[in-house]
Amino acid sequence: MKKNSREIAIKLTNVTKRYTIHHEKPTFSEKLLKRSQKQIFTALNDIDLTIYKGEKVGIIGSNGAGKTTLLKLITGVTAPNVGTVVTQGKIVSLLDLGAGFHPDLTGVENIYLNGLIVGMSQKEIKEKFDNIVQFADIGTFIDAPMYTYSLGMKLRVGFSIGVFADPDILVLDEGISAGDQNFVEKSTQKIEEFFKLKKTIIVVSHWLDYLEARCNRIVWIKKGEIEESGSISVIKKYKKFQMIS
Amino acid sequence: MTGKEIKARYKFAVLGFLWIVLNPLLQMLVMGFVFQFFVPVKVDNYFLFLFTGLLPWNFFSMTVLKCTPAIIFERSLIQKAKFPRESIVLSIILSNLFHFLIAFSLLLLALVFNKMFFERYTFFHLLMYLGNMLWTLPLIIWLCVLTAGTVLLTSALNVKYRDVNFVVSAIMPLWFYVTPVVYQLNLLPEKVRWLFMLNPMTSLIEGFQVILLNQTFSSPLFIFCNLLTAFFIFMIGWWYFQKEAKFFDDWM
Repeated sequence: MKKNSREIAIKLTNVTKRYTIHHEKPTFSEKLLKRSQKQIFTALNDIDLTIYKGEKVGIIGSNGAGKTTLLKLITGVTAPNVGTVVTQGKIVSLLDLGAGFHPDLTGVENIYLNGLIVGMSQKEIKEKFDNIVQFADIGTFIDAPMYTYSLGMKLRVGFSIGVFADPDILVLDEGISAGDQNFVEKSTQKIEEFFKLKKTIIVVSHWLDYLEARCNRIVWIKKGEIEESGSISVIKKYKKFQMIS
Repeated sequence: MTGKEIKARYKFAVLGFLWIVLNPLLQMLVMGFVFQFFVPVKVDNYFLFLFTGLLPWNFFSMTVLKCTPAIIFERSLIQKAKFPRESIVLSIILSNLFHFLIAFSLLLLALVFNKMFFERYTFFHLLMYLGNMLWTLPLIIWLCVLTAGTVLLTSALNVKYRDVNFVVSAIMPLWFYVTPVVYQLNLLPEKVRWLFMLNPMTSLIEGFQVILLNQTFSSPLFIFCNLLTAFFIFMIGWWYFQKEAKFFDDWM
């Protein structure tokens, strides 16, 4: 009963996601010439999952189990073939931090572009702009075109935008590999702050100790289905399962 | 997004915004020089005639060519977050529209100049002419609707079928020659003229020529047909894009 009274952040009902496997680039002429050579891969099969506001959820499972697909559905990057995904509040993913920048535009311009895509308004970006630049801390490079950036610098900018977008739901990877020691410490600290706040956090990780220390709920995905979902004790079962196989 | 397009396009061009005008101008000069000898068009000023048709055509063809592969090019944005996918093509349309409007207003200036000094229009006639120019506004909207529809359809199709881009690039130059930009429809034999009804660009280009160069439409039936086609293309493009946009990521 206690669970029902809490606000729902993410609700997946009967979600199935299938992918068509391509061996080459899909073309129209090919479709006309050779018919019905489709290979279907079911990434997620009939999943029901409800995540409440403020929960820190760790998602575990072996490679190819469907973790990434699940996150894509939650962030709305793609849609399910069957079922519905309902989310409440702004979702920001800190997964591909270096991606989504236009190489010819400067750091400043990219902050605006990316901020819009992440779901901030122009006004919001303007207000937080100084904070973002300060946190990224890449000096005068912020006015240089993005192609002059090192990977670490891109990650810095990407991380800063994501963090200052003020998400209600945060999706992240275990260790944000954001360049040098200095920034890793800074970003880890920032993420720890998020953990303390009443935000909903979803972490994908193979580093079980990390999840054990921070999450209050674990979802174990196995071959496109939820094997188990519950308290941290799921990790123990997962460890046992790994030992056997 | 539009600002991004405009900035990215001219970031490295030293001449900057001059290119917007220079590009169609050079095109016009070359074509005007060549076609003057081949096509017996009976208009007062062939260069102005050419420019009037070239500008809207360039807007259309450049937007279509640029937008068709755009979704694939921006795959890193698509994979990053949920945002209205149509903003990718819309930003390109708007930035091209911006360029079109700049070049177009210069054309209008040149036309008025021509009427004032070479054709010696009286003040009253000139006012009439300027008033008539307002008719280009609905034409530009019509042009945008047709372009948006085409682009929504081709860009969404190109995600699933990557050869659509090649098909489009192959069709555009051919399409140019079946559109009355370098010639007038009344130069063609009556028998083939009805075929142009199938080309939704016909009345658009003619429309600009009618309003700005005091010509007449070939047939009112054309306008009706082309308007209907443009509307249909837009509906189909919009519908298909909405249907597929959710699943773009699956094909990246």
